[in-house]
Amino acid sequence: MKQILALFTLLYSSFCFGQEQYTLSGYVKDASNGETLIGSTVFIRELNGGSITNVYGFYSITLPPGDYNVEYRYVGFDTQTRPLSLTENVRMDIELQEENVELEAIVVSAEREDANVTSIEMSTAKLDIKSITKIPAFVGEVDIIKSIQLLPGVSTVGEGASGFNVRGGGVGQNLVLLDEAPVYQSSHLFGFFSVFNPDAVKDVKLYKGGIPSQYGGRLSSILDIRMKEGNSKEYDVSGGIGTVFSRLAVEGPINDKASFIVAGRRSYIDILARPFTDVLDDGAGLYFYDLTAKTNYNINEKNRVYLSGYFGRDVFKFDKRQGFDWGNRTGTLRWNHLFSDRFFSNFTAFYSNYDYAFAFGEDDRDKFRWTSKIITHDFKPEFTWFINGANELTFGGEAILYRFKPANAVSVSDGERTDISLEERKGFEGSLYVGSDHKISKKLTAQYGLRYSMFSYFGGTAYTYSDTIPGLRPEVTGAKKYDDWESIKTYHNLEPRVSLRYQLSPSSSIKASYNRMNQYIHLVSNTVAATPIDVWQPSTNNIKPQQGNQVALGYFRNFRSNLFETSIEVYHKWNKNQVDYIDGADLFINEFLEGQLLEGKGRAYGVEFYLKKTRGRFNGWMSYTLGKSELLVDGINFGRDVENRKGKWYPTRFDQRHNFKLTTNYQLTKNISLSGIFTFVSGTPTTFPTDRYVVQDYVIPMTDNRRNNFRVPDYHRLDFSVTVDNVWRGVPKKRSGKVRSGEDYLVLSVYNVYGRENPFAIYFAQGDERFLAGESVDTSASQVAILGTMVPSISYNFKF
Amino acid sequence: MTRFLNIITVSLIFLFACEKEIHPDLESPANAIVIDAWLTDQDTIQNIHVTRSQPYFDNASPSKISGATVNVYDQDNNVFPFIENDSTYTWISPDGQPFGQVGNIYFLVVEVNGEQFEAVSDMGRVPPIDSINFKFEEKDAFITQDFYLAEFVSRDPEGVGDTYWIKAWKNGQLLNKPDEINVAWDAAFTEGGGVDGQVFIQPIQYAINPIDEDPDQDNEFIPPYDIGDSVYVEIHSINVHAFYFLQEVLIQTNREGGFGALFATPLANVTTNVYNTNGNSGSSVFGFFNVAAVSSAGRRLTEEVALAAQEEARNSN
Repeated sequence: MKQILALFTLLYSSFCFGQEQYTLSGYVKDASNGETLIGSTVFIRELNGGSITNVYGFYSITLPPGDYNVEYRYVGFDTQTRPLSLTENVRMDIELQEENVELEAIVVSAEREDANVTSIEMSTAKLDIKSITKIPAFVGEVDIIKSIQLLPGVSTVGEGASGFNVRGGGVGQNLVLLDEAPVYQSSHLFGFFSVFNPDAVKDVKLYKGGIPSQYGGRLSSILDIRMKEGNSKEYDVSGGIGTVFSRLAVEGPINDKASFIVAGRRSYIDILARPFTDVLDDGAGLYFYDLTAKTNYNINEKNRVYLSGYFGRDVFKFDKRQGFDWGNRTGTLRWNHLFSDRFFSNFTAFYSNYDYAFAFGEDDRDKFRWTSKIITHDFKPEFTWFINGANELTFGGEAILYRFKPANAVSVSDGERTDISLEERKGFEGSLYVGSDHKISKKLTAQYGLRYSMFSYFGGTAYTYSDTIPGLRPEVTGAKKYDDWESIKTYHNLEPRVSLRYQLSPSSSIKASYNRMNQYIHLVSNTVAATPIDVWQPSTNNIKPQQGNQVALGYFRNFRSNLFETSIEVYHKWNKNQVDYIDGADLFINEFLEGQLLEGKGRAYGVEFYLKKTRGRFNGWMSYTLGKSELLVDGINFGRDVENRKGKWYPTRFDQRHNFKLTTNYQLTKNISLSGIFTFVSGTPTTFPTDRYVVQDYVIPMTDNRRNNFRVPDYHRLDFSVTVDNVWRGVPKKRSGKVRSGEDYLVLSVYNVYGRENPFAIYFAQGDERFLAGESVDTSASQVAILGTMVPSISYNFKF
Repeated sequence: MTRFLNIITVSLIFLFACEKEIHPDLESPANAIVIDAWLTDQDTIQNIHVTRSQPYFDNASPSKISGATVNVYDQDNNVFPFIENDSTYTWISPDGQPFGQVGNIYFLVVEVNGEQFEAVSDMGRVPPIDSINFKFEEKDAFITQDFYLAEFVSRDPEGVGDTYWIKAWKNGQLLNKPDEINVAWDAAFTEGGGVDGQVFIQPIQYAINPIDEDPDQDNEFIPPYDIGDSVYVEIHSINVHAFYFLQEVLIQTNREGGFGALFATPLANVTTNVYNTNGNSGSSVFGFFNVAAVSSAGRRLTEEVALAAQEEARNSN
């Protein structure tokens, strides 16, 4: 490794300038708790330029010797200015004090004030946890996934649906990373809550486009969630009592070099209900919990290690033997190492396990148990070389081993055991990348890179299938056994990435980007909303990797000294090898799952408008997306072409023409703030039948072989909340006048204020009762609202 | 395999979904020809229904298309004529022997308005039902009184590729809700299951228990079987295409309201094994042709049987 680095340095220095240069580097932290600050600005006044800290809070700037004034800025914190006489390499770790400005509660962005205009990034959104906590939330539970759905280009098919859709992409096309480990199922209780405990989250960043070369593996987006390191100065206890969850987080220093955070949440309806009913005594229950823990150790100035983990589970039991459950477990070990003050590296190794299980049968002689798992091992070295003020080079790689265990299933019937388990499927995904951040001129900045990715499907049985008319079930024509590590099929791909920013004026810029992504594992889900029991399927000899391309163009403009931020972005995406399913596909415990899948093309385009008022008593943002998302798959939506079944373009289930959201916040008094959200979304597409017919007394719907030819009515909703700060803590005691330590706040919220029965779906069915042979059976259409009422809630949150 | 999705939707019942009936305008109906031909070896009289599809919201019983010619042939070209009567087309055994022979292949030929529709089905073997048992269960979160579950015991014969439709009756009432369609590929769920020559797996054995919501009590269910109830089970051998047909019928007709809407799959046409000999240019046709061998068994849950089940439950704990 050292040799390669030396070579690199040598190569680069040969076309660097002869003049001697020195490096200013270090970490920027929050003075109150020692948390590193991601994305804070380090600004050299004399050069009118600078750098920002990376995801570990590290920065490095290389400059000619001289006298400088260095400003350290982070929104919501007081700016610090340090004079610097640069005659040698300088390490400067800075701690910033939180700003004490009243009447300015909501801080939507943590970056420098004009970052949206000046940074190279486009199609990205950053939310800091403070702003998320002020947004009115369903049953008062602060939710990261719900919050990002307020941003342009991000949507959901409706309440209760897990995950999110980005720019017309599917739920399974988002890579959700928690401290760099993938989280396969980001929801508790289907889609009602997300699995991330806000008490343990430091920073959330969503890439919708212009994705840098270090990220890959999914077509639509990367949601990068970073956990807090834990307060390194003092012990902190924070938590909350909500309508659904109770939360508690403890953080603090272990010694002067290490700190930790442990945060847990658990739903407690079952505990509250226990005294009132005896049905739970038999082991029945419904609950979900998650535990997030992290510790870090500062070995010395050049080395720091982090260990973090997440354990979450949803459990639903009919009694002590029967029910189902699902959950994620992830563990991440990271090592930050500074080869020099200009050469930052990080090595990450992680383990992730997503599993679910079903169990039926009341005794050991008659039972059924099915578990499904996806296990991921990953190693990811990443290097950043801060070459000089104008150039930053990032390179690295990733090696991922996937083990899919779609079914480990056993049935016992009258003591006779039957194993219906499916074979394990294995895949290796590898990638190498290099990317450069390059300030070409004062006005033009470029970020460009290349990612090479490969995937190998190996070991086990490979099946071949017959050719059929598209959309009909193929027959298995062959099965070949491979050795454990023998490759069945390997794919190689190159993914170019380019982003450009041209600064038109200090307050406006134009940005453009292109990226290509490949996705080697596929979420197999044929239902309206993704479910926790959906399986992931690797690319195989029959299933090709998905490939997506996106171009985006944006105009960014700020007004009145960054009081208003605005942007317009247009995007166009064209994808191939998109997954759909044959009619009547059987996706569970099916050895021949590959035969149930179809592939086709996808396209999406749209325009996103964004307006944000960043400061003042009244602030907030507005987002509007006009978009379209379609698929073309032979065997689906073929209309009258019954013989060849050649498909025509049809809208995806999550296609939404208009998507408008308004998020506002008003600081009424020092302690009381009001927030409101208004959402308007076009109805999503659905398929209506034309006829009905009867076979064996079942009344079967008939279509004209078109998909998603109607739309459910539009969706709109208003939410409202009142936040009262310092209800008890942080207030002087009556007798002594002493202020109680810590802080707290109370949130009263109302979801769906005007109680609209927002349609989620329309379905066509016969009645739910049994009928006699030959009897006429009624069929009808029904419109379903998942939450058809207003939902008030209250939660209390504290920290001391 | 919608059964797994059904189970997970049950867990959402404590939330408040709501729904209302609507009357949207639909595209114009196709009025396609429908052939419903499911023959068994149970009877000396067999019926084939030839009807048309009707607008989705038309709740009348479908009426017969008159003037069709309906014949079934076997591989030796023996013909089984189906004669039109008031409501359908009927074959009556000339010799008092029931229809069909396991191992034979049957061809259906229907002529309607000058067009010819054909289908083929073999008649597969069917295993006998060895016994029907009742198990005693204590009340739980959903069924608030002690109850009994029924299971049938039968062993799929050796040799892969047998497909079955298991029908059950409680007190003479066929369990014919869409989600009560119970099909098996050999002794398990799917083609690739590799479970051959074994007793049907537990979820299939137990699918003969009706799970009906208590009309008087939200989120509670009535006991599947109680003392005095009877259960009757038939296993029908079906052809491979009929297995998929029934699975698709289950998916397309079992549309759960409420939270089930989250996990609904797209509405699409169910396949058919009947085809128009005129290809794409002819009228479209729906329906299905299957010839089944049937085995059956029944049992009543008497006081005596119930006491024995309770005794067994005590011993196993």
